[in-house]
Amino acid sequence: MSATRSQPVFETRHLIFLSLFLIILVTMLIGYNPEIKVTSETQKVYDYIDSLPSGSVLIVSFDHEASSLPEIKPIALTVLRHAFSKDIKLIGTALLAEGTGVGYRLITETAKEYNKEYGQDFVYLGFKPQYIAAILSMGESIPDTYPEDYLDKPYFSNEMLKDIINYDDVAGVISIADGSLTTHWIEYGASRYNVNITAAVTAAMMTTYDPYIASNQLYAMFGGLRGAAEYEKLIDRGGAGKRGMLAQSVSHIYVIILIIIGNIMYFVQRKRRRGSK
Amino acid sequence: MGDYRSKFAMVETMMNRRIPQMICFAFGAALFTVFFLSHPLAKDLNLTITVDYWQIIFAFTLIVGVVSFVRITIKNIKKGEDRPYRIVSLIGLIAMPVLALIWGIRGDSPFMWVFEYVQVPMQSTVFALLAFFVASASFRGFRARSAPAAVLLIAALLTLLSRSSLEGILPVYFSDFADWIRSNPSMAARRAILIGIGLGSLTTSLRVLLGIERTWLGGEK
Amino acid sequence: MLFSNLIFIADSSAWFNTDKLLTLIISLFCVIILLYTTYYKAKQSKFKIREIAGLKAIEDAIGRATEMARPLLFTPGWGGDIQRPTTIASMNILGHVASKTAQYNCQLIYPTHDPVIMAVAQEVIKGAYASAGYADRYKEDNIFYVSSSQFGYAAAVEGLISRLKPASIFLLGTFEAESLILAETGNINKAIQIAGTDSTIQLSFFIVACDYVLIGEELFAASGYLSDDHSIKASVRAQDIIKLLIAVFLIVATIWVTIDPNSQWWKL
Repeated sequence: MSATRSQPVFETRHLIFLSLFLIILVTMLIGYNPEIKVTSETQKVYDYIDSLPSGSVLIVSFDHEASSLPEIKPIALTVLRHAFSKDIKLIGTALLAEGTGVGYRLITETAKEYNKEYGQDFVYLGFKPQYIAAILSMGESIPDTYPEDYLDKPYFSNEMLKDIINYDDVAGVISIADGSLTTHWIEYGASRYNVNITAAVTAAMMTTYDPYIASNQLYAMFGGLRGAAEYEKLIDRGGAGKRGMLAQSVSHIYVIILIIIGNIMYFVQRKRRRGSK
Repeated sequence: MGDYRSKFAMVETMMNRRIPQMICFAFGAALFTVFFLSHPLAKDLNLTITVDYWQIIFAFTLIVGVVSFVRITIKNIKKGEDRPYRIVSLIGLIAMPVLALIWGIRGDSPFMWVFEYVQVPMQSTVFALLAFFVASASFRGFRARSAPAAVLLIAALLTLLSRSSLEGILPVYFSDFADWIRSNPSMAARRAILIGIGLGSLTTSLRVLLGIERTWLGGEK
Repeated sequence: MLFSNLIFIADSSAWFNTDKLLTLIISLFCVIILLYTTYYKAKQSKFKIREIAGLKAIEDAIGRATEMARPLLFTPGWGGDIQRPTTIASMNILGHVASKTAQYNCQLIYPTHDPVIMAVAQEVIKGAYASAGYADRYKEDNIFYVSSSQFGYAAAVEGLISRLKPASIFLLGTFEAESLILAETGNINKAIQIAGTDSTIQLSFFIVACDYVLIGEELFAASGYLSDDHSIKASVRAQDIIKLLIAVFLIVATIWVTIDPNSQWWKL
């Protein structure tokens, strides 16, 4: 493999990149939080968790990589905070290796905020390779899939897990994902074991799940920095979602302006080409 | 001599094609059948195939992958191709398991420190590139070249505006209209593509199981 | 205990999951249509797959790389593993591309995120080179595992594209957020790019950044189109028949629910 190297040249795209960087930097520094309206999607997720009786058990699956942490963290924190505030017991899992450490840290730090105890109010089971196999296996038996939790404690030594054998014993699964892993929860968890699946995903993935929402295969979904900001408003607690909204909105407008400029250039060039013919 | 050759070719075809094909069909048919069964035996078989077998195969191929990575990296370091990058890759590959083996992977271990303060920022940086590439791709590629392209462009602009926090500035029905685009015309198109993909997956899987498609075995079409 | 087990085994309702009866009927119906079209109908009539621009361009892309004496890069994306039909479909195209690169003596680079995919790709490419009669041109080191991490993989492939400047890039398989990073890097490096995936969201990125895009099922029909195998083309025909039946069902159900909004017969 022989490498060919080129001299760096300042091109239009470099200007586009630099402008975007500066726009995000400046708007993040301003610290102004625009007022946002809560969408029905986010409201549905909130209502679902809010309606669960205290003591219900939810599986929160950290199905994301480390890379999406800036977007995933505010989303995950809102769900965890809401669940702990409602005294819902949580079982943490991870279907991607990189989400394991992140998930453990998020769930333990949020638990501390609400004085929740490990083993009584939450348990972290950790990572299981081969996500489809893990989802199917948990449908048959969670203790067989995870004989020990993330801290190497035997499954049944955790008080809250005494009666939890499979999906029939939990209220549902919340998949916090940055990719298509929630699809596997829907295709294998929901269709085979009828477990209720809710998604908390990155903005880019939201439209992927729209058909599943419309067909009720996915119960509810919210996502992106915007979704996190909406959820923060619902639980009345500020966070990174709210802080990032101005930067995101201004970036959207910047992209719109770029598209308009690109089209103006295109039409001018087309007119010139036609004129020269 | 010729007879031995033809016998050898027969055995080779048997080992390289027929037996893998038969195993493929048997496992495919077994998994299809157990999907519809509720007997504990069927469930056990399902779990054995999907969990145990697959994880054993994956573990061994991971070794193959890592060995291949190390072999190619060392070869390129010797040749002087992309040497600095290759050395960093190799250090990473060796350092992380060593840290994990000595201090573990939990809590405040050095492994987690490297993960949180080196790997996470690096990966987030690559992820963040997406925003820059979205901007440059929008500028270059999103053109109203025809009437349908113009309709798509307007729909995209409306959706982008509706996802920003300009509620106070934009009229209320604006966001509703963008939601309508996402839930109706956009959803209909995506469903059509999804149905096509589902059927394509079905026929491809059946072609593989029935031995109509054999490219994955190597060589033969 | 033994007696109760025997009763359990003899009871058919304990064996069969009745909730999945409809799925079983539809699955068997699809299998029957596929078998009938592939093994019976194929003998009676010739099937033709319409021209697919992305597949037609494969030859040009390989030719371009050969003329420019630059490598050709093929990658299956980060999202899939070997059991995904998309990956199998990608392997089918890889076999065809490899046989052409063998003939033209063009360097084929195949980075992947999954060691199982790497092992299968090595077999596919090696087999294609041997079938083309150029087994000596096969280089195992060009098919390699980079990283299982999404953006580790994206960074590695992006780096390869930037340094090697391949003349042609094939992005065929299951892609997630790395799709635009790879496609834009290819575009910046002026490579001709042919992409195809089963993710609707990533398709939109590919359409903006790539020269040719195989949309959804076109990826699965590729092996029939490229190999000209009659049985494979017949199976694509079977797929169209099932699709037609689904379309008819959707139209009937839509009209029905318009006339009688409370009707739910299709939910069985």
